[in-house]
Amino acid sequence: MSTASQTGEIALDVRGLRRTFKQVVAVDNVTITVPRGEVFGLVGPDGAGKSTLIRMMATVLAPTGGDALVFGKSVRTESSKVKPRIGYMSQAFSLYRDLTVRENLEFFAELRGVPRKDMASRSAKLLEFSGLTEFAKRQAQFLSGGMKQKLALAATLISEPDLLFLDEPTTGVDPVSRREFWRIISGLHRQGITVFVATPYMDEAERCDEIAFMTQGRIILRDTPAGMKARVPGRVIEVDVSDYRAAMPIARSMPFASSVEVSGEHLRILVTRADDGVEADIRDALEAAGLRVDRIRPVATDLEMAFATLIPTATLPDRTIDDDILAVAE
Amino acid sequence: MRRIYAIARKEFIHIIRDPRTMIAVLIMPLLQLFLFSYAVSFDVKDLPTALLDQDHTAISRQYVDALKQSNYFTVTHNLTASSEIDGIFDRNQARVVVVIGPGFGDSVAAGRAGAVQVLIDGSEPNSAQLGQAYANGLSRIFGAKVAISQAEASGMDPAQAGGLTAKTRIWYNPEGKSASYLVPGLIVLLLTVMTVQQTANTLVSEKEQGTYEQLVVSPIHRIELMIGKVMPWAVMAALNIITISAIGLLVFRIPFRGSVALFALASFLFVLCVLGLGLLISARSSSTEVANQLAMMISFLPAFMLSGFVFPLASIPPALQGLSYLFPARYMTVVARTIFLKGGGWDVLWPQIAALAVYAVVVITLSALLYRERS
Repeated sequence: MSTASQTGEIALDVRGLRRTFKQVVAVDNVTITVPRGEVFGLVGPDGAGKSTLIRMMATVLAPTGGDALVFGKSVRTESSKVKPRIGYMSQAFSLYRDLTVRENLEFFAELRGVPRKDMASRSAKLLEFSGLTEFAKRQAQFLSGGMKQKLALAATLISEPDLLFLDEPTTGVDPVSRREFWRIISGLHRQGITVFVATPYMDEAERCDEIAFMTQGRIILRDTPAGMKARVPGRVIEVDVSDYRAAMPIARSMPFASSVEVSGEHLRILVTRADDGVEADIRDALEAAGLRVDRIRPVATDLEMAFATLIPTATLPDRTIDDDILAVAE
Repeated sequence: MRRIYAIARKEFIHIIRDPRTMIAVLIMPLLQLFLFSYAVSFDVKDLPTALLDQDHTAISRQYVDALKQSNYFTVTHNLTASSEIDGIFDRNQARVVVVIGPGFGDSVAAGRAGAVQVLIDGSEPNSAQLGQAYANGLSRIFGAKVAISQAEASGMDPAQAGGLTAKTRIWYNPEGKSASYLVPGLIVLLLTVMTVQQTANTLVSEKEQGTYEQLVVSPIHRIELMIGKVMPWAVMAALNIITISAIGLLVFRIPFRGSVALFALASFLFVLCVLGLGLLISARSSSTEVANQLAMMISFLPAFMLSGFVFPLASIPPALQGLSYLFPARYMTVVARTIFLKGGGWDVLWPQIAALAVYAVVVITLSALLYRERS
């Protein structure tokens, strides 16, 4: 998309990265490359190992096996050369609550060796950029959730990193702030910064150049959002039905339905038949069961449906282990 | 250098903005100083005393008067038979029973030693020890007085005259004022507790807040991080030493007989030791609760029990004596008391100061080694 990504320079080269916590394998031989300038999305269920993977790439956690090269430097043996080029925003708010917005920014600027002459202009720019200028003197603990996340991002950006690791940066943030947050990420993308972001939200994944799906410590799919959707065999029919719970088993029993999902109040059925008669058949089957069909129409495949069909159910985790719990247990 | 300063400045902000820390650091030591010095005073005054005078002579009454006038004893009961003594102790009506045996007056009059039995309730060792000392001292003074007047009356050489049986006791602290030996020890105790506790928390709380990961991804060396974190606490410790000493000198009127420079040097080394201990705990604790408990165990108990602060080290079991060498309070207590009370200098204190220096180097190196950059 940007010029940097077209030169083919590799920002991140992960080779067989692995991490175990006692008996549990959190990250299992992950290999991915991320071209410079890309916004790369990592999606997957809780406990898939996303945070553990990011923490290893961000030099916070030591790998058990394998390696990750950040602009050609190993996180294992050259972490001091990796650190100046990366920014890392963890899932939990990780700034000082009793320091003001400006003090937090200045602290991380000093810590990361931002030249003194640039400090004032950079923090002013970042405050402006994140809409925090008027809260500069407020202690971080008194900011709203969305503002906290923007401050954390600003603190991460103060050293102008070339590669940014964001671990579920918008979890627990209101929709307006989420949109604003992604507007900032788009801005970074235009500046040529490589962004590696883990997200549980499919609409956010949709905005990435490429996405990888991770489950049980492994990356099992990797493609562009469009490519992911194109892989889905068949079309999606969306049905508004009076009782979608009751409609689910009926839809599943239809021979041409390969997948049935509930999205909001809608029922989404992936059908393998290409003919137009399929809508009528669905309506008939549901009405025969005494359900009222309010609306039925074909819709574009979304990522949710793509993952639901593309990921073999056997690979989904049978137990949910939160990365944070693992981190504490170590 | 810039990074160290950034960390130190941030730590100062943490301290200043948290009222609880401010109280713990600045008010608590002073509160404890006053508490220990007044409430937990080891001074014994007005010991409740029961008297059993089996002699009933003018001389025995003279002895009783001297006892009453001494301030140390308050005669609460006059007994008539030795069978009452146990009951007095059992009901806690008196801590001391003074028994003047029959023939006391005759012995003194005859120029021989008059026997006085002093029975002391040993269940409170401090009062027991001091009460015994007072009684002995009293006997000596009284004995001398009696002996002298006897000698003059009979024209004998006073040195040859008999007196009361008495033991002498040497006081470093002639008035037996406990503040004098408490305050120097307290400086050590309070400083240990405050410094170890606070530094033990610094790294752990960053881990709990999640800010630790941000420090880890920053290009900062662990030594820089540790120095930056420890600097504000070194300043706080210095402040505490100065205020506690000043209060000791001005309010409690304890003496300072030694060299200020030597005391400053020893204090500096000692502060390094306790900062190192705190960091050691912090580097290895998984949570602030664990850190606090470890800090309590490593700071308060040894500084209280194994430093010579309360119990003379010579009188504790050999195994515990050995253990006491593992904690810096033991060395610093000797240094502080010697400098404050005896005015001792480098010639007598060099082993303790050398021990503190070695301890500081070892504990700081150890904590730097144990502190892992990545988990």
